[in-house]
Amino acid sequence: MAEYKEAPLATRPKTLDPAEYYNLSPEYRRAEEERAALRTRLKRQYQLQLNNPHRKELIEDPALTRWTYARISNVYPNFRPTARTSLVGGLFGVAPLFLLYFILKSNRDTKEQKMKDGTYERPFSLSY
Amino acid sequence: MRSPQCQRTVNMAAFRAGLLARALVNGKGQRISNVIFGARAASGVSKDMLPGPYPKNATEWAAAAKKYNLRPEDYQPYPNDGRGFGDYPMLPNKSQQERDPFYQWDHPDLRRNWGEPIHWEFDMFTRNRVDTSPSPVDWATMCKTLLGFIGFMLLMFGLGEVFPSYQPVAPKQYPYNNLYLENGGDPEKEPETVKHYEI
Repeated sequence: MAEYKEAPLATRPKTLDPAEYYNLSPEYRRAEEERAALRTRLKRQYQLQLNNPHRKELIEDPALTRWTYARISNVYPNFRPTARTSLVGGLFGVAPLFLLYFILKSNRDTKEQKMKDGTYERPFSLSY
Repeated sequence: MRSPQCQRTVNMAAFRAGLLARALVNGKGQRISNVIFGARAASGVSKDMLPGPYPKNATEWAAAAKKYNLRPEDYQPYPNDGRGFGDYPMLPNKSQQERDPFYQWDHPDLRRNWGEPIHWEFDMFTRNRVDTSPSPVDWATMCKTLLGFIGFMLLMFGLGEVFPSYQPVAPKQYPYNNLYLENGGDPEKEPETVKHYEI
C-alpha cells in the first residue's frame, strides 16, 4: 500500500493514508473508533427509517434542519457590532448608497449640461 | 435500551409538560394561547437540537458537540467574533468532490451520510461548484501564470495603441474638383480648382 500513487486531481483516500497504518498510537485508534461508532449509529438510524415498510413520510435530516436554521435564523441573534463587522457593514451597505448617488448624479448632470450646450455626442445612435 | 427516537419523544413530552406547568405557574407575560395550549407545536426538531449561541463553558461545549454528532475533541466552533456563526462547528474546507467516490454514502450524489454535520458553505462545495481537489500545479503558480499572461497582453495592446503601425493611408481624393456639382454646387459659377498632386 505504501507504493500507492494518487490518481491525478484526486485526494488520497483516507483508508490508503500511510498515517493510518504506521506508528498508530492508542489515542489515535480510540479516536477513530469513536468516530466510526458515531457514523455507524447514524447509519443504523437512517437504514431503520429507510427500510421501514410502514413509513409513509420523508425521512427528515436534523443536520439539514440545523444547517438551514444556523444560516438563516441564527445569524442576527449572534451578531455583535465589532470593528470588523462595522467596517464590512459600512463598506458594503452604507458607502455604495452615497457613492452611487454621487456617481450617477454627476454623470447625468454633465450629460444634461452637454445636451443643453449642444455638444453631446450620442454613442450608440442607430437610426438617426 | 430505548432507541434514540423513542427517547427523544419521551423527552419532548416531558419538555412540553414542564413548559405547560411553568406557563400556568407564572402566567404573567405569557400569551393566553401559550397558557391554554402549552408552548408551541412540537413538530420537527426541538429547541435544544437547533443551533444556539457560542458555548461558554465545558458543559455547553459537550452538549453542542453531542448535538452536532461530533466528538467533543473534534468539535471546534467558529471563533466568537460577532459574525453570526454561534456554536456552529467549523469543519475543514474540503469540497464534496474530494470525498471517496467508492464508499457507500447514504446520499451518493452529495457524497454525504444522513446526520453528518453539514459544512457552513456546503452549497458552495457541492460537486457542481467549487472544488478543492489538488491541482496539477499549486495555486501560486497558477495565479502567477494567469496574471502574467493577462498583464503581458494588456501591455502589448497598450503599446500598440501608443505606437500604431499600419499601412500609410491618406484621406480619400475625389475627382471633378471634389465632386463640385454632385455636392450641390451652382453649375453657372466656376468652382475653385482642387489639385491633389504636386509637381
